[in-house]
Amino acid sequence: MIRRAAFALLTTALLGASPGEPEPLYELPAAGSYALPPIDRVSEHVLLGSDGREAPLLGLGPGRFAIVTFIFLGCHDAAGCPLLLASLQQTDRRLAASPELRGRVRLVTVSFDPSRDGPAEMAGLRRALAPRGDWQFFTSRDEAALRPVLEDFGQDAVRELAREGSGESALRHVAKVFLVDGEGRIRNVYGSGFLDASLLMRDLETLLGEHSPAR
Amino acid sequence: MMSTSFARLVPSLGLLFLLSGALPARADETCQSPYLPRLVGQEDFVYIWTLGIEGVGDGSDKLVTVGANPKHEGYGKVVSSVSVGGRHEAHHGGPTDDRRHLWVGGLDDSRIFVFDVASDPARPKLARTLSDFPQKTGGVVGPHGFYALPGRMLISALSNSKDGGGRTALVEYNHDGEFIRTIWMPDDAPYGYDARIKPELNRMLTSSFTGKNNYMRKLSELLGDAEAMKNFGSTMVVWDYHARKPLQVLKVPGAPLEIRWALEPEHHYAFTAAALTSKLIGVFRKPDGSFEAVEIADIGDPSKTPLPVDISLSSDDKYLFVDSFMDGMVRVFDVSQPRAPKVVYEKKIGPQVNMVSQSWDGKRLYFTTSLLANWDGIGGDDAQFLKAFDWDGKQLAPRFEIDFRKEQLGRPHIMNFGQKGLYKTQGQPGGEAG
Repeated sequence: MIRRAAFALLTTALLGASPGEPEPLYELPAAGSYALPPIDRVSEHVLLGSDGREAPLLGLGPGRFAIVTFIFLGCHDAAGCPLLLASLQQTDRRLAASPELRGRVRLVTVSFDPSRDGPAEMAGLRRALAPRGDWQFFTSRDEAALRPVLEDFGQDAVRELAREGSGESALRHVAKVFLVDGEGRIRNVYGSGFLDASLLMRDLETLLGEHSPAR
Repeated sequence: MMSTSFARLVPSLGLLFLLSGALPARADETCQSPYLPRLVGQEDFVYIWTLGIEGVGDGSDKLVTVGANPKHEGYGKVVSSVSVGGRHEAHHGGPTDDRRHLWVGGLDDSRIFVFDVASDPARPKLARTLSDFPQKTGGVVGPHGFYALPGRMLISALSNSKDGGGRTALVEYNHDGEFIRTIWMPDDAPYGYDARIKPELNRMLTSSFTGKNNYMRKLSELLGDAEAMKNFGSTMVVWDYHARKPLQVLKVPGAPLEIRWALEPEHHYAFTAAALTSKLIGVFRKPDGSFEAVEIADIGDPSKTPLPVDISLSSDDKYLFVDSFMDGMVRVFDVSQPRAPKVVYEKKIGPQVNMVSQSWDGKRLYFTTSLLANWDGIGGDDAQFLKAFDWDGKQLAPRFEIDFRKEQLGRPHIMNFGQKGLYKTQGQPGGEAG
């Protein structure tokens, strides 16, 4: 119940906030004016969807992209998971409004914490974020099932000791977002200090241009 | 009991949502990449990349781990030491974005050594050696700076294999040690040294030193070679970080070395020290978004060439610690008015001093001595040590010191901090270290 209430509040906060943006401190580089060389390669994985059924994570193919991030609903870091989700929600809205990118990009949000974040919890998060595009929410049957995915992406996660008296434990992780192209190549990784929906969109436009016959 | 974390965070989420077009960086302890998890509180270890000295111990370069937590066994002592075999001109290094590995480089043969510092933070293990940096990178030599980017490592180099001069590049590798790309410095600013990023501004600054022909030469010879002395950098480059494109070349005579961006998100400036001219330089963002480099202070008496080397900025952007190699001094500048810094304290650390590192809370500082194997001891006393101090905002008080010659270790160079708590897991309370 508490978690459902949290989702409702989250929804209110995310959707009720004005999407107005602050004055940018820099001009974004033009799409296609820079390179995004492959950083690493990841495989397709099958995890547990928010509907309780196993499904492929990335759904890649020619001209398609995935934006993958790992979160957990017990995250205490204001600059971590909630911030990632806020930025991804902005990206979802922009993708839905982009004739070029709509239908080409899957947002993928995976829980680090399968013992607490089951399919029902991830479905609640999905409802709160109200995706307008292809935004999939995953968890896993257990940590063993998740481990190969984390290792493939190079995403660290360390379970901290339970905080005394709280009955809780937390996961320490470095907040990252992975941009994966249709061939399973990681083309950019964004950290907490540089997570900007405008940059994500610009990078997607840059990669989309690689498939354009005009280029 | 279910977590209520998201509920507690909701009041800030609206604000974060508004800010998410230009998010603040989470800076690390003072000079590290903003993409690292911040190491706050008491550091447990200082990892010191150390040059081997022929006839001293095993004579090899090594990663030395020193206990830094007074509450733990091994405080002020060498906890472990891992030799990499041979002498490679050990110089700089830095952690990966998750701080699980520490990358360090050798300027002579361009080898890169990757240490696992997470499995047992008291006893790092050599996990990987990269021996083909010049071949992979298209002729880049002298991997110098190691700066964590999300999912990869940015390496700023010093030289090239074609002529051993100062033309060089920035290089990126992924965490598996696989080459990603080489970005050569621009033709009108070919030298390299440091590379530092201010994510809020999408700007990267690079600085400039000299090529292998000079940095591997005996300093006494080099100083007497007027032609060779012309081959030092005199530029800084402002880059579009995201695009990795140079935007602006700033003239900064005299080999500007370490770069320290101000850490407060709204502070849009950086500092560097020009080694050969002994000038403290401020690099300031102008209202039009471009940058200017301004001489803001002398460091000691420039006519005596004190050779400023490492600098360290406190996390509140108030104090800048500036080491100078030739006189072994640290000078502390109050830079709260960044265009008008004032020296508020100075102390002789030893016959020579190079690197300085401070804790995030600014209460503890560490100094090491080695600059380059062939440059050390130019003043006559080639003392090699680590010295730790407390800083109370007014003066440095000694905590401990380790004589690296007496301990048969070598020449201590760059320092990185470690903390056991970064890697604690349930049922594995910290891996107590001796």
